[in-house]
Amino acid sequence: MSNVLNWQLGRDMEYPYAAAYPDRQFAFVFNLNRCIGCQSCTMACKSTWTFNKGQEAMWWNNVETKPYGGYPHHWDVKLLDLLGQANPGGQTWNGEPRDLTAPYGQFKGKTIFEVAKTNISPEGAQRALGYLPTDEEWAAPNRFEDNPSASEKGRKGQMAFSGGELGPQHKTWFFYLARLCNHCSYPACLAACPRNAIYKRPEDGIVLVDQERCRGYRKCMEACPYKKTHYRGTTRTTEKCIGCFPRVEGRDPQSGGVPMQTRCMAACVGHIRLHGLVQMNADGTWKEDRQHPLYYLVHVAKVALPLYPQFGTEPNGYYIPPRWVPLEYLRQMFGPGADAAVERYAHPDRELLAVLQLFGKDARMCFRYEIKPGPKIFETTIRGKKFELFDDTIIGYAKNGTRIVETKVEEPLHVRGTQHANSI
Amino acid sequence: MQLLFEDDLVEAAVRLCAAGTRSGIPALQLRRYDVERERCYAVLDPDERATAFARVQLSWFGEWGLESRLTSVALHFPMLQPALTALAFRKARGRNDEGAELYRDAQGRRRGIVALRPERFADDAPLTRFLHHELAHLADMVDPAFGYSPELEQTGQTASQLRLTRERYRLLWDVSIDGRLVQRRLETVADEVQRRQEFNRGFAFLPEERRDELFAALWHGRLARHHPLLDIAADPRGLRGRHDPVPGAACPLCGFATFQWTEVDRLRPAARDRIRADFPAWCDRESVCARCAEMYDSITGLEYPATVVL
Repeated sequence: MSNVLNWQLGRDMEYPYAAAYPDRQFAFVFNLNRCIGCQSCTMACKSTWTFNKGQEAMWWNNVETKPYGGYPHHWDVKLLDLLGQANPGGQTWNGEPRDLTAPYGQFKGKTIFEVAKTNISPEGAQRALGYLPTDEEWAAPNRFEDNPSASEKGRKGQMAFSGGELGPQHKTWFFYLARLCNHCSYPACLAACPRNAIYKRPEDGIVLVDQERCRGYRKCMEACPYKKTHYRGTTRTTEKCIGCFPRVEGRDPQSGGVPMQTRCMAACVGHIRLHGLVQMNADGTWKEDRQHPLYYLVHVAKVALPLYPQFGTEPNGYYIPPRWVPLEYLRQMFGPGADAAVERYAHPDRELLAVLQLFGKDARMCFRYEIKPGPKIFETTIRGKKFELFDDTIIGYAKNGTRIVETKVEEPLHVRGTQHANSI
Repeated sequence: MQLLFEDDLVEAAVRLCAAGTRSGIPALQLRRYDVERERCYAVLDPDERATAFARVQLSWFGEWGLESRLTSVALHFPMLQPALTALAFRKARGRNDEGAELYRDAQGRRRGIVALRPERFADDAPLTRFLHHELAHLADMVDPAFGYSPELEQTGQTASQLRLTRERYRLLWDVSIDGRLVQRRLETVADEVQRRQEFNRGFAFLPEERRDELFAALWHGRLARHHPLLDIAADPRGLRGRHDPVPGAACPLCGFATFQWTEVDRLRPAARDRIRADFPAWCDRESVCARCAEMYDSITGLEYPATVVL
């Protein structure tokens, strides 16, 4: 075991291999407030990469309805339970947040790597705490779709309302969680592979399975806390999201030679996704890059949070938490940064509003943005706080400096000409 | 009878054994198994690769005694040999998917299929108990003396009654099978105490004396035939054909079982006349259920057609 810095946990942690970081890291931010669960991302991925024999139950990208949905079923609940059993009552956070090395404070509990040695199976100690889902759990990937949480009284199917004079207030909730491989900085799949068949690319941090080395032991499936490696029965090997690496490399014919966002990101009709490559420091923290939209969302605005950071793999997928979900749930899922993230998103400032306009505007990756100030067009009070809307213009640039996005905060209004009236 | 093993089951069972879930497999054999698998990865054509893997897995399925475990249990049920053209074992998707089924094709050939989870191969004793029970089901299904028919539906049953009949039939058949297996000194999935508890829960509405009598008949194989089992399942209280208002009997008008009978004298005369008009064979002695009484009282008290109310 080596000691590596996990900045999401704000401390060093044990990992089976020595630290090694790519030049740039594949990362993405999903705005869960906007996801409508349409599965366009799921089908974009499926129709591109996993349409062959033996891949029928394989969904590299999926969208599940939380709190009950999950692919495989209850993947997160099961792992949280295993962690809870291994370290009862100890999975807590505290400490003061520090920039870059501990933005969410310090995790005092144990990661899946740190408790693995105590989880002895017939095959010996694990390298990362995990479990192998059954065939049944992989089936029905959208089970519990649109099932809301129970009401505050815990009665199934009952919608609870309160505060009649203020209008109805829902006490039930659900949200859509879009997921794919997080191309973690400390991948559990890589740590667990007995054949060293899994590797992280030094140029972009994409985690890949070498199909010639893989012998289908499924240790990666057992170890990956997000359950994003999949066994293919026809080849007897494991397959996983490849981060659409030809697009990320700029080799897609449509890219014009600049890095493009993955298929699932580009196909998102809800414009919930922003994908990019972030620069890394030698210690694994993100290099300061103030005008990079992902850096801004994760480290400046701090509205985008890692999924289950307590697992310890340092996932590179970040989520803007849905603001209608109870904070206790969000804290468990996204760590202690959830409160501030929801507050910030519910009362966005001028820059955040502008950066949110970059989502889904162009299939090419944005490496830098700049904002041109515009006039104030609206002013109101939101939950007791003053809110001002400025019609700023945000401009996004590709890796080679090409201007790829130019859009305003107030979305343009298009009026159809009368010649189109009553036409199909 | 041909014995068939599904590739998925064989592979999953062998892999679990190789992973250490079944004790007693020498390390040297595991090494050989890995080497043989390794060769298959060199086969590039997907179909040929699948065949190569299947061949390796099947050979170790035999080598590690998994195949013989299945075949030896099948020998305890000689009736299956002439009756089935094939007995196949497939991988179950989960606990609820496990069990035995009988299939008959257009030519009348019968095949038995047993679905089981690969985890069962970890330990011989529970596997054997499970197979005894499931193969006994198959043996009953092919036994002319048992007279099995997949149709459980009986005239006049509603969907919920049919579900109830199916659940009761399942319980009665399980009790009967385990009882007969115990008489034959074959281990099975549940002993007499467990089955009696289940039976008492399923037929709690019967008097204790009748329950004991019925359970003893089932456990000792005296009711090991399809039709007696189905009759008990469909009409455990023996109310079929009764035309008097006893609790649980069917209402002569709506046909639903009822425990709430209405005295005919309490119906208004117009309602009684209306019932006689709609059901000419009905007589006062048969009475009506509370729901029908309420409906006929209502519709005869109104001036517009009953269909509007209904």
